[in-house]
Amino acid sequence: MSNLLQRTAICGFAVGVVCLGCARAHETAGNRFFPATLAVDDPGVNDELAFPTISAFKTGDDPSAKQLDVSAEFAKRITDDFAVSFEPTWTRISRPGGPNMNGASGFQNLETALKYRLYKNAEHEFVASVGFNIEWGGSGADSVGAESVTSYTPTIFFGKGLGDLPDSMRWARPFAVTGQIGYAFPNSRTTSTIDPDDGSIEIETNPDILVWGGSLQYSMPYLKSSVTDLGLPDFFNHLVPIVEFAMETPVGHTIDSGTVTTGTINPGVLWIGDKYQVGIEAVIPVNRASGKNVGVIGQLHLYLDDIFPNSIGRPLLASSTLARGSR
Amino acid sequence: MNTRFVLSLCAALASLTLVTAPAFAHARLDHANPRVGSTVQSAPRQVTLWFTEKVEPAFSRIEVRDDAGNRVDIGKAVVDKSNPVELHIAVKPLRAGTYKVFWRVLSVDTHKTEGRFSFRVER
Repeated sequence: MSNLLQRTAICGFAVGVVCLGCARAHETAGNRFFPATLAVDDPGVNDELAFPTISAFKTGDDPSAKQLDVSAEFAKRITDDFAVSFEPTWTRISRPGGPNMNGASGFQNLETALKYRLYKNAEHEFVASVGFNIEWGGSGADSVGAESVTSYTPTIFFGKGLGDLPDSMRWARPFAVTGQIGYAFPNSRTTSTIDPDDGSIEIETNPDILVWGGSLQYSMPYLKSSVTDLGLPDFFNHLVPIVEFAMETPVGHTIDSGTVTTGTINPGVLWIGDKYQVGIEAVIPVNRASGKNVGVIGQLHLYLDDIFPNSIGRPLLASSTLARGSR
Repeated sequence: MNTRFVLSLCAALASLTLVTAPAFAHARLDHANPRVGSTVQSAPRQVTLWFTEKVEPAFSRIEVRDDAGNRVDIGKAVVDKSNPVELHIAVKPLRAGTYKVFWRVLSVDTHKTEGRFSFRVER
C-alpha cells in the first residue's frame, strides 16, 4: 500500500471511528433518567464533563493497526434548553499504522456541537432534540487521519422510556431506547493530496454521510424506584446494562468512498451515581471495514449540574431557579 | 506527548474533580415504605419516601391515589426535621387494592425531580 493510499484509508476510517470517543449528555424526563451514552449521542442538554473517554481497538485498514483514543467533552448550557460543547480527541496509532507505517500520534480535529431541546414529555418519558455538529477541518494532525475539510452534521435525537407500559408488562418498564440520525456534509467536495512517492496529485471526493445509531438500555435504578424494589445490594441498583450501535453510511458523492456502512455494536454496562457515572463497553465492528477484533471503550462522566449547581453547573442565562430545576 | 502522560493526566484531573466536588445532586427516590412495587398484608397509616438528597418542604409533595384515581392522602407531605431526606404523608384507612404514589420534590440545590410507583394492600 502506498503512503497515499494508506493515508486515505486512515482518513476514511478516522471519519468512521472518531465518534467512538464522543462523550454524551444525560437527561431526565419524568421518572426517567437517561444516562450519558458512550458511542452515540442522546437528546440530553446539560452541563457536563466527560473525561476521560478512552477507547482501544484495531482499525479497519489492511493491515490493521492498534488505535488508542483519549477524548474529553465539555458541554455548557447557555439557556435551560440550549447547550454548546467542545470535544478534543488525542489519538495514538501503533505500527503498522500511520503515514509511514511507523505509527503516529496527535490530535483529531476539534469538534463543536450545538444542541437544542425541542420537546420533553414527563408522563411518557419522551424527549427530542436537534443538534448541529461541526468538525473543524485542519485543526488536527494529518498523521492520525484528521481531515483537512470541515464537516457539518445536523442531527435529530430522541429518547423514550417505556414507563407507560401497562401493569401487565411492568417488568419491561425499565427499558428505554435512544436514537440519533444525522446528515454529515463537507465544506469542500474534494480534497487534493500529493503523493510523496511520485509527486502526483490525487483528488478525492468527500462524501455525504448518514450518521445513525441508538441504544437499548435497562435501568436498574428505574426498576428499584418505580417498578419494584427487590432489595438487591446497592451496587446493582446503580447499574444500567446497555447495547449501543453507531453507524455511518455514505449516501452522496460516494464515487471514492463507496457506500458500505461501517460502525460498531457496543454491549456494556453503566454505573450511575448521584454526581457521576462510569461506563465500559465492548466495541464490536460490524464488518472488516469497521475494524478488526473486539475493542473496548470506557468513560468517566461528571454531572456538572449536580456537582456545581450554583456556578459552572447552571445555564449562563437561566430563566429561573425553578425552571432550571425542572429540566 | 506519550500515551502514559496522557492517561496519567486524565486520571489526575478526574480524581481532582471528584475529590473537590461538593455533595449536591438531584434528589432521587432511594427507597420507600411501603416498598416500591410491594404487597403489604396490613394497611399502612402513612407513606414514607427516602431520597438521596435533602428536600425542600415548601416545594415537595406526595399524592396517593386508589384504583379509581381518588386521593387517599391526608394533609400535606412533611419533611422529617431530624432527617431532611425523609418525606412522609398520612393516608386514610386503606382497603384492599392497588395504590399509586406520585411524588415531586425540590432538592436543596433547586433541582426538581418527580416519579411514581405503586404498592398493593392485600388485607
